[in-house]
Amino acid sequence: MFYLGFVTFVGAFVTALIALVLTLARLARKERTISPLSSLLAKVSFGLHTVSILSLLLMQLTQDYSNAYVVSVINPAMPDILKATALWGGMAGSLFFWSWVVNLCLLIALTGRRKVLDGWSFLIVLVNLLFFASLSMFVENPFNRVWATVEDKIVSALFSPAADARLYGSLDGIGLNPLLRHFGMIIHPPILYLGFGFFLIPFAVAVSQLLCGENGEGLLGQTRTWLLTAWILLSAGIALGSWWSYDVLGWGGYWAWDPVETVSLLPWLSSTALLHSLLLQKQKHIFRRFNLLLVLLTYVLVVFGILITRAGLLNSVHAFGESNISIPLTIFTSALFVLSVVLLLWRWKSLGTGWEMNSFISRDALFLYTNMLLLAILIVCLWGLFYPLVTGELTGTQQGFTRDFYDQATAPLFLLLIFLMAFCPLIGWSAAAIKKLGKAALLPLLFSAAALIPAYLYLTQSWVALIALFIVMWGLVNMVLLTLRDASKSRFFARWWDRRARYGAYFVHAGILLIALGIMGMEALSSTVEGFMVPGDKMPMGQYEIEFVDIRQEYDNPEYLTTEANLVLWKDGEILKEMHPGQDLYENRGQYISTPDKHSTLRGDVYTLLLDYSLMMGYVTIQVADNPLVNFMWLGALLMVLGAALAASRAPVLGLNDAGETIVLDDTEELYEEVLVLSQQSEEQP
Amino acid sequence: MKKKTNTKMIVGVAVIVLALAFLIYSTTRSSTQYFMTVEELHSRQAELVGQNVRMSGVVLGDTITYDPKTLDISFVVAQIPGDHKMIEEMGGMSKVLADAAADPLAERITIHYTGAKPDLLKHESQAIVSGSLDEEGVFQASELLLKCPSKYESILPEQAGN
Repeated sequence: MFYLGFVTFVGAFVTALIALVLTLARLARKERTISPLSSLLAKVSFGLHTVSILSLLLMQLTQDYSNAYVVSVINPAMPDILKATALWGGMAGSLFFWSWVVNLCLLIALTGRRKVLDGWSFLIVLVNLLFFASLSMFVENPFNRVWATVEDKIVSALFSPAADARLYGSLDGIGLNPLLRHFGMIIHPPILYLGFGFFLIPFAVAVSQLLCGENGEGLLGQTRTWLLTAWILLSAGIALGSWWSYDVLGWGGYWAWDPVETVSLLPWLSSTALLHSLLLQKQKHIFRRFNLLLVLLTYVLVVFGILITRAGLLNSVHAFGESNISIPLTIFTSALFVLSVVLLLWRWKSLGTGWEMNSFISRDALFLYTNMLLLAILIVCLWGLFYPLVTGELTGTQQGFTRDFYDQATAPLFLLLIFLMAFCPLIGWSAAAIKKLGKAALLPLLFSAAALIPAYLYLTQSWVALIALFIVMWGLVNMVLLTLRDASKSRFFARWWDRRARYGAYFVHAGILLIALGIMGMEALSSTVEGFMVPGDKMPMGQYEIEFVDIRQEYDNPEYLTTEANLVLWKDGEILKEMHPGQDLYENRGQYISTPDKHSTLRGDVYTLLLDYSLMMGYVTIQVADNPLVNFMWLGALLMVLGAALAASRAPVLGLNDAGETIVLDDTEELYEEVLVLSQQSEEQP
Repeated sequence: MKKKTNTKMIVGVAVIVLALAFLIYSTTRSSTQYFMTVEELHSRQAELVGQNVRMSGVVLGDTITYDPKTLDISFVVAQIPGDHKMIEEMGGMSKVLADAAADPLAERITIHYTGAKPDLLKHESQAIVSGSLDEEGVFQASELLLKCPSKYESILPEQAGN
């Protein structure tokens, strides 16, 4: 199995390398097309890469402990599904998987219905593929084997490190970190990686357009599907990670501004901005520079994210081992960054669109504000990430930020974004007269004011929270009304389906507003109590009471020992639910995993956690958190992803451009037109 | 060709940039945190009282006290280097932790924390604490994170999440 996996990996690497050389030779002859041979070689490379990754999977499933990677992530007690998904549970495996994802993206780009690659962009993708594959090949090889030397030293190497060394297959597997054994964590990495990978193709296309001196107008039509798909996967990946952290990490948090989390948000912010300004480029041929910059930036941020996550550069005080791949990755990230900057500066003048900002509340301006806010959040995050490095260099003592920094610096920006989200549809929507605007805005305002009454009664009396809630509700009601606006017209469903790109966009925004609602609940309204309890004790928690009944242990699972507290959740003198928060002790690893239990309703979660216990003394320490509105976060994420998928599902339609030529119209064409017409109406107003 | 002066654009961008700069500046000042080792903290003890510090050290098992009723935890940590390269040169994290815990001359500091006792709080685990130094020289931690490096760490690939 080692030979099959390793040899096919070498084969995949070499065929991609030959394709690269052939493409370079062809480009040197000033031919911009991809030769059939190099296209074929790339496909062969993908095939070999796939065989290689499958043989690594097989080694994991059959527990081949002569493989160092298998030893590090597999143990006999793990269920098969976890043995397979451990592929992305460790450093070497996840890097290898990532290079395979890059290869997959290349295959899709080459075989897809719409051919997006020319010679230059093909070259860029190949360079990326070969770079990441060589990290796996030369630095973190997943096929490294475990050897025992004559002096009984255990060494990890591809081939025999010394004359008398023998393969050593009896190291006990450590098994996958128990924290990673959650459904959200099982599918979170591949989804995130696919999302990251899909940004590579638009990046390559943009580089090619800049190299060849094109104006970037073709960018949208060629890569919109890639960008949207990448955005959907990235959003889903981030949401899954957040859900995992809420469900598993025990502290009940969903986001901690950890560097690793923050870097996954960076490409999301830049690509969200990109999707917005691409709308304007399509309609009015403006923001060309901005869009090219955002396409380039997004992928550079993706690679930067891999650097941060994998190389432990910014985590130095956490003392994650700084790995061998950090130097090549740093060089590669910087090279991509420099390439992007140089290309943009080189073509800057020819990309100008002569756009002027004519009004502070025109549609263009509002889109620009949105993007400015998204980029401002991005800058705050980058500042937070780089600050320890900068201060470390300048003063000798690293200074970092507490998470208050991110909370305080981004909260006003996020609030402004939410306000824009609630406000913008009105501009496009009614608008013919300010009077009419007032009328159209009245209904949502009344609705959201009415929604505040139950919020005041059941959730909070804080005015700040109520105002924030009001803005979110206002935006939500606007979204609902926009979606239902056509309900009275004939053939509603057919029209609706026809315009699903537009409704999808509404769903996405409503989803984000719901997420904001959930975040507000967690940040402003949640409360926590901790208590030391003996059997029979009751602890009050808002309108609930938590009773501790007893504690028990289970030895069923060979890998861990389960300890569970039996709790009863009371409300108004009645039993609502039995709850069993516990801890799993993985003795071999010396690691505990908390298994929180929660009572979930739309109003929120009652979240219980077993913090400490003594079987002998019979006491437990229980933490109970009231997390209002938190489930809107997951519902919102779902709505956001489904809405974007709905928008992306609209097949491209043929249409005519200004010059009367037949072109492929983008699926959101209609949305732009509609917004354009409506906003022009509103712009005409004094 | 007429030169376009995009005044509104410039005004708008200037306002945004200034607002952002102010936002970053003010939050930078209020939430800065120093990353230090035990030795560095001792050498600058006087000026650091009350400052927000993040520090890492090895837990000495004998010194751990915990009251499950009040959730008061106190323990002593000993100096370990903060630099990766130095740790690698000294034989990896688990060796550095074991050596530092056994070294009677290593600089030490008492940590106080209120909360549930973390499961990994035991001899030779690495404690990463955020908080500040009080006037008696006790480190009052508001955040406590513990790590236990695996013995295989040196030869085997690293896992995510560790």
